[in-house]
Amino acid sequence: MGPMSAIAPRTHSWAVLAIQVAFVAAILAMWQFSVSLGWIDSLFLAAPLATARALIPTTILAEPHLAATFSAFAVALVTGVLAALVVGLLVNTSRYTYTVFMPLLVLGVIIPKVTLLPLFVLWFGIEKATIVVYGALSAFFPMVVNVSAAGQEVKPAQITLARVMGYSKIQTYRKVIIPAMLPVLTSGLFYACNAALMGVFIVELALARFGIGAFVRNLATTFRTPELYAAIILTSLITVIINMLLWSLARRLGRWRA
Amino acid sequence: MPRISPAVARAAIVLCILAVWEITTHLSSASRILIAPPSEIFWQVVNILATTSNVPKFYPNAWITIQEFIGAFVITAALGVALGFLFASSKLIGDAFEPILLVLYAIPKVILYPLFVLMLGIGMVPKIIFGITVGIFVVIFNTSAAVRQIDPDYVKLAYSLGYGRLMTFFKIILPAAAPTILAGLRLGFGYTVIGVMAAELLVVTDGLGSLIDWASFNYYTPQLYGLIFITLTIGVAGNSLFSVLERRWVR
Repeated sequence: MGPMSAIAPRTHSWAVLAIQVAFVAAILAMWQFSVSLGWIDSLFLAAPLATARALIPTTILAEPHLAATFSAFAVALVTGVLAALVVGLLVNTSRYTYTVFMPLLVLGVIIPKVTLLPLFVLWFGIEKATIVVYGALSAFFPMVVNVSAAGQEVKPAQITLARVMGYSKIQTYRKVIIPAMLPVLTSGLFYACNAALMGVFIVELALARFGIGAFVRNLATTFRTPELYAAIILTSLITVIINMLLWSLARRLGRWRA
Repeated sequence: MPRISPAVARAAIVLCILAVWEITTHLSSASRILIAPPSEIFWQVVNILATTSNVPKFYPNAWITIQEFIGAFVITAALGVALGFLFASSKLIGDAFEPILLVLYAIPKVILYPLFVLMLGIGMVPKIIFGITVGIFVVIFNTSAAVRQIDPDYVKLAYSLGYGRLMTFFKIILPAAAPTILAGLRLGFGYTVIGVMAAELLVVTDGLGSLIDWASFNYYTPQLYGLIFITLTIGVAGNSLFSVLERRWVR
């Protein structure tokens, strides 16, 4: 369930598009009027036009910060996912290890890890190490739970059938085991990716001296509101693009399985 | 080889980790500022709960955080389930808003927190609203998915049995959708807690987040571990409550 279940191809009609355009236009109009009619002080809310004007200069200023943030994110994600693959496959070696370890891994998912942030600062300081370690840990738990669950998707009967049909070990992996695991693995990757993004941004917002989180925090504390909105829109845009890539990957792999 | 029950094995693993942690902290030269042994954390937790430690105003602050959790979750649940039903009830509205929701879901909400503070100031309100923003999406998605997966024949059957719209909703749709909605509420609770705690730690005012910040600022390491343990326990306890509800409902 969750957002991954919502990614089904759907028919687009003019009515759907009209509602979407109307909704976005209404939000933009409300946003613009609440500033220009003075409902909210422009010190706290930048008008859409002011934000649009700030977009390009802010992008130029934010570029080195974005590069630092997303390279840290990439390292964190890859580390977390690789560690989760190894641990997940180990947990999956038998039904017994699965029943023993799975609740512990689920516990790792459900504890609000953000509370542990002060400890990470204590151990790793306020430099890049904390960002990467915390991001990797954020990615690790949702991924490892999904890797372990993916292993349970492979039914013993399917493997027996493959053997009866004369598949070699490699063929069994390619044609049976991996296709059975893939949908759960991609959904794990989706959660891991978003958790890592969230983790990296939390650390940067809370304490980093460089990176987009620190950039945003500085803009907020110095009340450079249009630049702040522009920076947040820019960052959101990048994360939405990352998510869209993941959705198209999930759709493609889903089709492969079918 | 006779196999020990999984629960016993799990308890043994946890005890082993605690024992190794305890022994290494006593033997190693690592500073006591960095790490506290489990025994000391345990006594700290007891002292904090008995208000005999130096943690200032533990219960008032804990109560603030719990109120934020409850407030944020109640609104998340009510609004999320209502929106989920709305999006499932009409194919047009569902199709129109699902892509918008997916895009909003894809934005890591924490980057928006400075905007919340700018517009809503500090105190409980921005933390609660931020918790809702983090938690509501999974509730909406699960609710609308739960309603959509109901076999339309059930609804037809209900109508042919002479059920009215309300009767059909309460007797057919709600029970059939309940397990998936509950799963969404459990996840939503988890996200809400993360949102509230992130908000408490990013802009420190009051609540458990402020106590954690106080302990880490003053290098009261055992108190820091103890407070974190208490906060995590509250989060996990809420989650377990939902697991129990889910198990009962599914049966």
